[in-house]
Amino acid sequence: MNRVLLIGSPNSGKSSLFNRLTGLNQRVANFPGITVDVASGPFAGMPDVELVDFPGTYSLQPISGEEAVAVEFFQRALTDPEVRHVLCVVDATRLEKSLYFTLQVIRECQKRGKPVSVLANMADVLAVNDLAFDHAGLADAIGAPVLLVSARQGLGIDLLLSELRQKLISQPAVSSRWSETPDELLRGSAHQLAQRFGPRGDVLVQSQLRLDSFFLNTGLGGVAFFCIMFLLFQSIFTWSAPVMDAVETVVMGMGATLVPLISNQVIADFVADALFGGVGAFLVFVPQIFVLTLVIGVLEDSGYLARAALICHRPLKVFGLTGKSFIPMLSGVACAIPAIYAARAVDSPWQRVMTYLAIPLMPCSARLPVYTLLIAVFIPDETALLGLVGWQGLALFLIYFFGMFAALVITGVVSRFASGAKSELPFVLELPPYRLPSIRPILRMAINRSKHFVTKAGKVILAVTIAVWVLGYFPNGGTDLGTSWLGMLGHWIQPLFEPMGLDWRYGVAILSSFLAREVFVGTLGTIFGIEGADDNMLPLVEQIQGSGLPLGSGIALLVFFAIALQCVSTVAILSKEGSFRLASRMLVGYLVTAYLLALLTFNVVEALV
Amino acid sequence: MHPAQSPRSLWALSKGETCAVLGFDEALPEPYRIRLMEFGFHQGEAVTCLLRPGFGAPRVYRVSNTVFSLDVEIARFVFVEQSELGSA
Repeated sequence: MNRVLLIGSPNSGKSSLFNRLTGLNQRVANFPGITVDVASGPFAGMPDVELVDFPGTYSLQPISGEEAVAVEFFQRALTDPEVRHVLCVVDATRLEKSLYFTLQVIRECQKRGKPVSVLANMADVLAVNDLAFDHAGLADAIGAPVLLVSARQGLGIDLLLSELRQKLISQPAVSSRWSETPDELLRGSAHQLAQRFGPRGDVLVQSQLRLDSFFLNTGLGGVAFFCIMFLLFQSIFTWSAPVMDAVETVVMGMGATLVPLISNQVIADFVADALFGGVGAFLVFVPQIFVLTLVIGVLEDSGYLARAALICHRPLKVFGLTGKSFIPMLSGVACAIPAIYAARAVDSPWQRVMTYLAIPLMPCSARLPVYTLLIAVFIPDETALLGLVGWQGLALFLIYFFGMFAALVITGVVSRFASGAKSELPFVLELPPYRLPSIRPILRMAINRSKHFVTKAGKVILAVTIAVWVLGYFPNGGTDLGTSWLGMLGHWIQPLFEPMGLDWRYGVAILSSFLAREVFVGTLGTIFGIEGADDNMLPLVEQIQGSGLPLGSGIALLVFFAIALQCVSTVAILSKEGSFRLASRMLVGYLVTAYLLALLTFNVVEALV
Repeated sequence: MHPAQSPRSLWALSKGETCAVLGFDEALPEPYRIRLMEFGFHQGEAVTCLLRPGFGAPRVYRVSNTVFSLDVEIARFVFVEQSELGSA
């Protein structure tokens, strides 16, 4: 298989060009010894030639771990005999920014005898703004072909493909003009070449400045930011909801149709509860992941995401996070799973880990039924200040605030003491020009991410769902949760929860809530002999009140649920997006922290009451 | 160097002011210096402060035809001097 490498710095339009050249027909490629996943796909019209999308980087002199991996990947790829050509993408409207990197790429290619072509992207923007770019002069000066293309409009793509086809057949001789040139000389040359051949005038910067003056204005920009974040939040909560309901209805409907056809009761229960219940429980997240990826893709492609990062950077920096952490954290208030995918927008690996640390502590929607139940049990449904403040609402606000506060404190403490934070590049963010987003590649990205969730995390979630079902079903055929293996486990761990005034029933409910936090309510309902506690909590509330559960235990449970990472879907996706080590450390770390804080809370509250 | 002649930092530029890059503080680690030069912050290059968002947020600078946002922890290490171009 012949391979062609596509390389370019961030915001050069490389990904759009990749999508244009491959017709969105892509998959994940791997090079020996390299652990990064990169997109690859056959050229449209040249199915025997694979285009490999090199991870974007500003320079071949890495200053972060992630850049080092990307550069290593590039250097190894150049030694691969299957790599026959390198295409280096530059933004023709901002030549100087890209040209030093381009010369570095040309030098490395010449050292290893690989032919390279430069693709000057954004030809459409040059034409619309009547900007001149002497690409022929630049080609002569750098000793490599320079083709003007537009990924967005497809300009120059046919010419590129026909020239590439010729070059793959004829294998042109590779010059050695730059092969021994040191970086300092390359920097000087890039500056001079950009001045000589690049477009002049600042019409693009001026139009960008007009929009930035609005979006980064302290007052109006803040209002715009609030409105955009409100829309993003609505997209996860409200717009996804009908599709999520539809997915759940379809999966449950299929189960309801299939299960009566099974004569064996155990198999029928397994198929109904473990298989269809398990599949439904994770497929229901797919619409959220799809919609959030779509909205973030639009924000990123339009150039607004970089502005949002700038706005949020200052307050989040105090807690070891970056401005780009804000959107994943906000998404985490709806659900941690799409939020963890959204953290891909955080470039720095260290700050991405910090963002992962913060996300599970954001008060996600699955915690709401648990909070509602416990608040209804302990907080009277009364108001103060002439009916303006309800005590239950205030309690809900406080526990939500507690989760967010805990997220910031934990990331702040970890970043202060961990060594990874010290190697971080200070905040330097390129603000790309505002553009109309290209919808097709964003749609493709949303589909790919949804597929990734189903194929990677789905297996883990299903396996854990089945394990919990087996524990709750046997040995008594699911007739009594209290005497099931899960119930025995609940009794076994009772000594752990006794110091905070909780008996085995709460232990079982906490264990089962690892499937999803809201399962806590349904499980307690089953144990207390109340059907449909998920939909109508009042009988369960009265039962728990009648059981004499101390106030300290209730508040301790609230604290426990605010911190503990008992959500198998979140752990599974953390394991895939981060690493198994990170996911397991977070699972244990948050469980221990939640337990100790809950214990402390119980003792303090009981001492005060 | 006499205090009156101390170079100004990029962070001190007011909105719309253009200066030329004079150099970098030695306290700025070399990889970051190189990266800034790769972005176009060469000695003698004109830099304009386009925006100074409120609440201490990173500021927005134009160098060549590219716009960057720099936080105080790096902008204060970039020294600038009065440019013939003056204010934008």
